[in-house]
Amino acid sequence: MMDQSQLKEIEARCIQEEQPFCTAACPIHVDVRAFMAALAKGDIRGARRLLDRAMPFPDIVGRVCDQPCYSFCKRGEIGDPLSTGRLERYCVVNSQTVLKLPRFPAKKGRVVIVGGGLSGMTAALDLARKGRNTTLMTGKACIGGTLLDFDEKLLPKKALLQAETILADYGVILQTATALPTQFIVSLASDYDAVYVDLDEIEPGRLPTAAGRPDPHTLALGPEGCFAGGGAFPDTAAFSVIKQVEDGRRAALSIERYLDKVSLTAQREMEGVRTTRMHTVTSGIAPVAEIVPADPDAGYSDDEARREAGRCIHCECLECVKQCVYLREFKEYPKTLLRKIYNNQAIVQGTRSANKMINSCSLCTQCTMICPHDFPVADICRTSRQEMVRDKHMPPSAHEFALEDMQFSLSDFCTLSRHQPGSSTSRYLFYPGCQLAGSAPETVKNTYAFLRQQLPDGVGLLLSCCGIPAHWAGQDGLFAKTMANFKIEHEKLGKPTVITACSSCLALFKEFAGEIETISLWEVLDGLQLPTDRAAARKPEQPLTIHDPCTARHQQVMRSCVRNICTRLGLDIVEHDYNGELTDCCGYGGLMQVANPPLGKKAARVKAERSEHAGLAYCAMCRDNLAASGSPVAHLLDYIFPGQKDGDPLLRNNPGFSGRHENRARLKEEMLAELWGEAAGPGPDHARIQLIISREVAELLDSRHILDDDIRKVIFHAKQTGKHLINPHNNHHLASYKPVRVTYWVEYEPAAQGNVIHNAYSHRMQLPEELS
Amino acid sequence: MSNFSFIEDTSWQCAGCRQPLQPTKVNVSYLNSVFNVELMTCPQCGMVLVPETLAMGKMLEVEQLLEDK
Ligand code: SF4
Ligand code: SF4
Ligand code: SF4
Ligand SMILES: [Zn+2]
Repeated sequence: MMDQSQLKEIEARCIQEEQPFCTAACPIHVDVRAFMAALAKGDIRGARRLLDRAMPFPDIVGRVCDQPCYSFCKRGEIGDPLSTGRLERYCVVNSQTVLKLPRFPAKKGRVVIVGGGLSGMTAALDLARKGRNTTLMTGKACIGGTLLDFDEKLLPKKALLQAETILADYGVILQTATALPTQFIVSLASDYDAVYVDLDEIEPGRLPTAAGRPDPHTLALGPEGCFAGGGAFPDTAAFSVIKQVEDGRRAALSIERYLDKVSLTAQREMEGVRTTRMHTVTSGIAPVAEIVPADPDAGYSDDEARREAGRCIHCECLECVKQCVYLREFKEYPKTLLRKIYNNQAIVQGTRSANKMINSCSLCTQCTMICPHDFPVADICRTSRQEMVRDKHMPPSAHEFALEDMQFSLSDFCTLSRHQPGSSTSRYLFYPGCQLAGSAPETVKNTYAFLRQQLPDGVGLLLSCCGIPAHWAGQDGLFAKTMANFKIEHEKLGKPTVITACSSCLALFKEFAGEIETISLWEVLDGLQLPTDRAAARKPEQPLTIHDPCTARHQQVMRSCVRNICTRLGLDIVEHDYNGELTDCCGYGGLMQVANPPLGKKAARVKAERSEHAGLAYCAMCRDNLAASGSPVAHLLDYIFPGQKDGDPLLRNNPGFSGRHENRARLKEEMLAELWGEAAGPGPDHARIQLIISREVAELLDSRHILDDDIRKVIFHAKQTGKHLINPHNNHHLASYKPVRVTYWVEYEPAAQGNVIHNAYSHRMQLPEELS
Repeated sequence: MSNFSFIEDTSWQCAGCRQPLQPTKVNVSYLNSVFNVELMTCPQCGMVLVPETLAMGKMLEVEQLLEDK
């Protein structure tokens, strides 16, 4: 399990929680994004609350801030930035204080602020709020410094008087009209624990030369406990309102540290204007011109303010979430997801509520491709599954169905390993993979025939499963065993070059059996003369959109061979945006559809709906899942090797779990008989039970992960033992049987042609008779 | 789930014993947890009926709860 520092390191790669550009550029980090959202809804009080939280004296600063954030606003990339300053003014003019920040209990230390400009006012307010005994002295009759020169229309004097009241409320001792000669200022340093000089009122020249220039990060002067800031920028002499606030706040924090005797310099990067790593994509967002108030003096009307705030694009990242149906479903972005997974692993006693989430990711790595910092969600989820398996916390129901299906594909009923008929060596080995064998057994035969005819020196055949379900399920032991057996079989056949029809098998062999030479079927076919005459006969009338499988994400050669083949077949192909490296998973990846069937269905629909055209897949699972989602979709092999009896390839049914299961066994049996003249071993006894299943019931069984084979076992067991229930009214039978861990119940009606299946369901709870 | 009762009138009868089913207390278990529940069973051979609503409802719920423990 990862430790805290690894967690932090990976978490930091997701920048969704970084500040938006406006907030980072704001010296006091007003939450501009939320402010805009509130104003866009017409919630002026909500907006005011955000200003009250971040700003000292919102009635002043909100009116006259010089908005340095403006030029950083992301909307500027596609037109006019947000008029944040004007909107803040609108907000404070039209509202009263909503949030009064609390005053902390009194703490030690007496502080004097010399000069009543906005930086001095801010420092005094911040320190007083923190419970420090604070005195503010000004030579003027009223506080405000340069602000006193502002036009009454821009900043009414009463806002400054109100500020005096606020300061007094927080306990600041105000001394106005106080003579402040240099000598007096110097003497204050010994009378108080800390001094802040506001350079807006006290020109730098009046400080003793020994004081030096304030340090830019801490605003500390030479002598201990003395600080200075505010006023015009020394180089340009320009005056910035928000710079006064920034300096006052920075000085107050320095003084706090000084009084608490902690480092003045450590960890202050977060203060003031910051850089942000936020990543926001603006392509596709329409530019909207700035809303200018009809009467500039009066500022925005309610409607104008709403419209201007409504231009905010709510800067955030979520680029991966926008595309990934899984992240959307669980309402997480990778950083929060990782946190939950980490906490889930840390649970010793109690409910591991993130299990389902961990098992629902398709491990497709689309997010990692999209993320500006390659956030590795798939790695995290898969590693977490491995740990759950290792620690015996993996819920048995999550993957068992898929793993049993895999074991069946690896069993004697389905596997077949042979040299080409009449040959005792193989230069090549055709490896269709369990899913193509299950989905389109006829196509496997035709493809194999073509390869035998076209390729020299023997093409062997290996019907099996690469073991990817175990890999996805975090079952390391099972996966390693499967891979080892594959290597043994491959060696027995004389180490031929493996031709894979499935991109998952290929990706897996490349990663875990790198020493074995592998090539994708598509690359092989692209190098051969294709039987185009037959394809032409079935060519679809409409253009098709290609759907790359998620395991082809990093297999550029294969993807381009597929496109070449399409061109050579004369297929009219249209590309969509989420193909190639950005392609979606169809719902099979990572066993998503097994651990979370409704989400698997959504994933298939999302993938199919990336284009309005009918689809062309070249992964058997993509083909079947997209077909199941109701989209017309063909498999590319359907156009190269059309079967004799097949109808329109675009309308071929999804065989479902059961169909694939039985196709595999039948394929072995038939190929063995047709090509090698051998009979397969006898099937299990229950295989003789005949079933009659309507389409609706078949769909129900598929969704409940109940195979026809399971049903045969139940009925066979009932016949053997005579144990079952009966409903005398309609002669329905109800029987149950537990082949391994799941108990299946089947309601059926024996008839002359077979057993009509009415219903079936299952549970994992053990009944008394099974307890022993 | 303990002390829960799933007693309902049912048309199902034990085919072997030709007996109507009767409410009986039985122990069911999953992942080291045992529950005493009342189910319809054959009074003669003890064959238990798990109706669909129970299997796909309460039982499933409890199974998943236990799996996440
Ligand atoms: S793409 Fe996703 S993981 Fe990457 S930074 Fe953005 S929100 Fe975070
Ligand atoms: S668009 Fe909105 S959130 Fe983005 S930088 Fe501008 S004001 Fe901030
Ligand atoms: S399903 Fe794919 S895109 Fe979504 S989180 Fe998992 S790996 Fe990333
Ligand atoms: Zn009985």
